[in-house]
Amino acid sequence: MSDIIIGIDLGTTNSEVAIVENGKVTVISEAGKKILPSFVGIDDKGEILVGETARNQYLIYPERTIKSIKRLMGQDAQVVMAGHHYTPQEISAIILKRLKTIAEQYVGQAISKAVITVPAYFSDAQRQATHEAGQIAGLDVVRMINEPTAAALVYGASQGEAKRMLVYDLGGGTFDVSVVNVQDGVVEVLSSHGDNHLGGDDFDQQIINHIQDHIREQHGMDISEHSKAMARITRAAENAKLVLSDEPYAQIEEEYLLEHEGAPIHLTLELARSDYEEMIDDYINATMDAVHIALKGAKLTVSDIDEIILVGGSTRTPCIRERLLDEFGFEPHGEVDPDLCVAMGAATQAAMINGQQIDTVLVDVTPYTYGTSAMGYLDGEPYPYQFVPVIHKNSVLPARKSEAFMTFQDGQREVRVSIYQGEDPDALNNIEIGEFMIEDLRDVPAGNIITLTLDLDLNGMLHVSAREKATGLEKSITINNAISRFETEALSHAKQRIDGLFGQKAGDETFSKPDSAAVAEARKLIKKAESLFETVSAEDKEDMVDLIETIASGIEDGDDNALQEPVARLNDIIYYLES
Amino acid sequence: MTSPYQLLGVAEQSTDAEIKQAYLQRVKDNPPDRDQKRFQQIQQAFEAIKDGDSRLQYGLFHLPEADFDGLLDSAFGQASDFQPLSEDDFCKLLNAVPVEKALANALANKSS
Repeated sequence: MSDIIIGIDLGTTNSEVAIVENGKVTVISEAGKKILPSFVGIDDKGEILVGETARNQYLIYPERTIKSIKRLMGQDAQVVMAGHHYTPQEISAIILKRLKTIAEQYVGQAISKAVITVPAYFSDAQRQATHEAGQIAGLDVVRMINEPTAAALVYGASQGEAKRMLVYDLGGGTFDVSVVNVQDGVVEVLSSHGDNHLGGDDFDQQIINHIQDHIREQHGMDISEHSKAMARITRAAENAKLVLSDEPYAQIEEEYLLEHEGAPIHLTLELARSDYEEMIDDYINATMDAVHIALKGAKLTVSDIDEIILVGGSTRTPCIRERLLDEFGFEPHGEVDPDLCVAMGAATQAAMINGQQIDTVLVDVTPYTYGTSAMGYLDGEPYPYQFVPVIHKNSVLPARKSEAFMTFQDGQREVRVSIYQGEDPDALNNIEIGEFMIEDLRDVPAGNIITLTLDLDLNGMLHVSAREKATGLEKSITINNAISRFETEALSHAKQRIDGLFGQKAGDETFSKPDSAAVAEARKLIKKAESLFETVSAEDKEDMVDLIETIASGIEDGDDNALQEPVARLNDIIYYLES
Repeated sequence: MTSPYQLLGVAEQSTDAEIKQAYLQRVKDNPPDRDQKRFQQIQQAFEAIKDGDSRLQYGLFHLPEADFDGLLDSAFGQASDFQPLSEDDFCKLLNAVPVEKALANALANKSS
């Protein structure tokens, strides 16, 4: 049997892991929860926390807790957690490791391979960083696929007739829009566009600013230096946002937020949905502009679209649905949970790579133009940095393109090749993603031909080579953002460090600790209980979740005796439900 | 060398929809994840003939019989001074462009 490959949605706010079993996709839940908040923390005993526990700790120890690390991926940044510095890759690796463990406990065997989703509009550097995070977590990242594409795969699989879909994916930190053609079992992305730094976190920030202004007016003080108070209003802002998805008004109340001149400050504030919508209006407009750019990229108009698919938690914002309804004239779809859809698509693609029979084939495109710079013209004037596109935006992956250039000086022995990502005719206005020198060229008059080849793989990562045509002299690189890049050695060092946090020996890859009979039985029971969740009443579900949590903590403590009672009770409930 | 029409298994008179369907069928049988080289051939073939414009361009400028680079190199190669092409080679270059046939095809497609 081939190795299991899991599908992972590594999100800004939430992460999920899914797997295909017997042709069916399951998002794996832990203690009844399918969503793992993307929070990482270290508690006061030095233990590593991931998910809900870290999220709770954020309120008390913001300085020991990291949230929304995805926003820093691909940047040369470090974060401080409990006094230690970490790279974004390392923090992401901690989340991935947790997801890996959740999946291993579910299937009862070691897992070493994953398909990880990334925002379609993630740049080369951001993809590279995600790949490195996987390696640090001990996962072989067999493929990275784009989040909106993964979602389209889930919706596309069930389509009989040909359809054109618009995937609107607004997450915690990133926004993507893709136009997809689904026909004859092929999910074909026609175009993608987006924004790497636009999401629910920005909506929260608007509310946070509003609260800060309010406190400044009422009490004449700036609270941005008080990290605990800021953590509390951050959570309060997020909660208010969620309330406003369903209600016209939200009450923001935080008692004893902090003390000012000896008197406690209580925060009481009402926020109306209409005011909130005004705060985020610019962001929504930006997403609509991106929708039109994507349509144009696919050479389609609004009327060509048959369906809209909503992905990402932030699409629960009512005014987004209203705006899409206004623009397209029909209601967007959201049947598949927008929080789980992407992980399900990742698992589907994982199964496909693994050789399992899957009825849907994926064809994706790059959202960026890649090229180089050369002597040329800009606005009619000679200019040394004219952008020369080689692989165009919305080219199908994998893409391989060559372009010939000539040396412009007699006896020119070397050429500096810069690679850019962007659309501007002036290369310097685009993002430079790498450069290299070709040296030892022949001593010949100007006009020595150099062939530059760009290779964009299925992960959306770029490989570049250049060759002197006459001699075959070749130079090739994989574009890694030189700044954020880990050398192999640094990568294995990071892996040891993260393994250390989990209390594991470095390189200890085996799925150790075999389950006792009681634990194995308990796990099986949990799995069975969770499979019934869809059909049971809310009350029964609550009872079951409580029991599952008790059992899970018993398993964690290794206390088989503590399992007996809750296992028996859960067994009874299942027996009762099934009869 | 197989032409894009042969590779996709369609006739030169096929409609856009027929070509698209043949392409999707080929992709389904050869997903990019399984054999990238094969998939790229299919993709390139499709892009060469996917609509009227690209088919016209393919018909006009695709030069199946001539080693265009080779011929140009022998005329303008850097190793030596400029050397005019022989009469035979020049005709080869001209004949490689089947202008009349391509135009006739394009017109037939337009009117049908």
